[in-house]
Amino acid sequence: MEIYLPIAEMSVHWIVILGMGFGVGFLSGLFGVGGGFLLTPLLVFYGIPSTVAVATTASHITASSISGALAQWRKRAIDFAMAGVMLLGGFGGSAVGVWLFALMRRAGQMDLVVSLSYAVLLSLVGGIMLNESWIALRAARTGNVSPSRPASHGWIHGLPFRMRFRKSRLYISVIPPVMIGFAVGVLSAIMGIGGGFIIVPAMIYLLRMPTNVVIGTSLVQIIGITATTTLLQATSNYAVDIVLATILIAGGAVGAQFGVRAGNRLRGEQIRFLLALLVLAVAIRLIWGLVVPPPDFYSLTLGS
Amino acid sequence: MMMRGRMFMTLLIVLPFLADAGRANENLVSGVSQDLIQITSNYDGSDIVVFGDVEGQQQPAGRDIIVVVRGPDTTLTVRRRDRVAGVWINHDAANLSGMPAYYYLASTKPLSQIAPGATLARYGIGIAGLQPDAVHAHHDVEPFRQAALRLMLDQGLYRETPGGVEFLSETLFRAHVPVPAGVTRGAYQVEVFLARGGEIESAQSTPLFIDQIGLERRLFNWAHDQPFGYGLAAVVMALVMGWISSVFFRRPA
Repeated sequence: MEIYLPIAEMSVHWIVILGMGFGVGFLSGLFGVGGGFLLTPLLVFYGIPSTVAVATTASHITASSISGALAQWRKRAIDFAMAGVMLLGGFGGSAVGVWLFALMRRAGQMDLVVSLSYAVLLSLVGGIMLNESWIALRAARTGNVSPSRPASHGWIHGLPFRMRFRKSRLYISVIPPVMIGFAVGVLSAIMGIGGGFIIVPAMIYLLRMPTNVVIGTSLVQIIGITATTTLLQATSNYAVDIVLATILIAGGAVGAQFGVRAGNRLRGEQIRFLLALLVLAVAIRLIWGLVVPPPDFYSLTLGS
Repeated sequence: MMMRGRMFMTLLIVLPFLADAGRANENLVSGVSQDLIQITSNYDGSDIVVFGDVEGQQQPAGRDIIVVVRGPDTTLTVRRRDRVAGVWINHDAANLSGMPAYYYLASTKPLSQIAPGATLARYGIGIAGLQPDAVHAHHDVEPFRQAALRLMLDQGLYRETPGGVEFLSETLFRAHVPVPAGVTRGAYQVEVFLARGGEIESAQSTPLFIDQIGLERRLFNWAHDQPFGYGLAAVVMALVMGWISSVFFRRPA
């Protein structure tokens, strides 16, 4: 059955959209990621305008991050001070990102920006993950556990404006968390992602936060950023499709539960290896679309 | 009665002297089966019927009818992709304003057999002759205009159907006009032309309104009239749905 999306201004099969939400929800439950980096390209491949896909995916990530955040909150594993400081940067980044987004949209380059930024980011992240998980898989097979302690980053401790983060047992400058929040805010607005795959490594390797508070704190930060992005996209670009979002969220909520259950049967490095392959597959598909001559050199937009 | 009598008298006098004497005495009367189309969420296209009658002194020979349904004017932005640094990007663009958002033409015969191109263009008949009011472009616009016409044809928003007007009797004619899903809402014009011997002899125009109704329309208006409230609602909806799912699926402790 077809349903009309009021903002995307097109008819879609709601079963297909629900299935996409379910599939991405399953993968995000399985891999412990928000899934924005999969959902946006998937919606674009299906024919949803990339502006609407990016803006609407943000609200999907808000919803899918809530249950994880609540679970971490019950375990008291959230550093709200750190999340708050990062969000200060995140608000600014999101505002800048939404402004860039509007600029690119007017120039008719939104599709290019979305494809290009995804291709670059996914290739990088996928490559790094594939390499890391491959080494871990080989190590697990030979029974040889490699020491992987992150290198120390002394320069961070030399920065001014230090602040005490009790939960993380850190006394560091607020500049790095604000910068990380800002960068993720920009990416969230342009790409429709939560940015977990950037925040989590940054928290562990750059800020050196204890692992037990990283997940909860990053989820709070992601919820804050994607909620801001949704609000800003709605007010400045009119690009949030509430009907599309509702169907995606409904599918995603169910899919995530099955994903979590499936994830319990796999080992960490196996999961990361599969996720890396998935990320690279999406990146290759996007690069393919950019370099292969288009079937039609002209495209048409109605209205002003 | 007086009028008709006088006209008849005049004709009687003039007729022997004028070759195209039929010009004055054939009149068009036309109508549309629906003058308001409301597009709802499950609308997947429908047909309207444009019908008409040729009144007055009859001259069926060489008579042709053209029916044009013309959508509201809009701006067509045409972009051309070019290869830049190995990547295909939108490079050049042209904005063609004053182009119809929908154009459907039905005629009794192919247009080229009805009247010369210049005559048709004067009345805005035919897709090939559609010209923008104003153009915003850096280069030669013609390739962009051609591309716009081709893409609109591909999308089914521009269409010509020679033979789409059928005569039910000597004077009564009718044409089915498709109104596909995804047409622009607004004020449409239904134009009916009577042609003979390469000239347009008579024309009539009827308005037609296409409006979108229902929940989708209300959501669209909400998103544009109160974007902050709408965005806030989207965020709250996401938060509540996420929370409900976490409560619903929580494993029994």
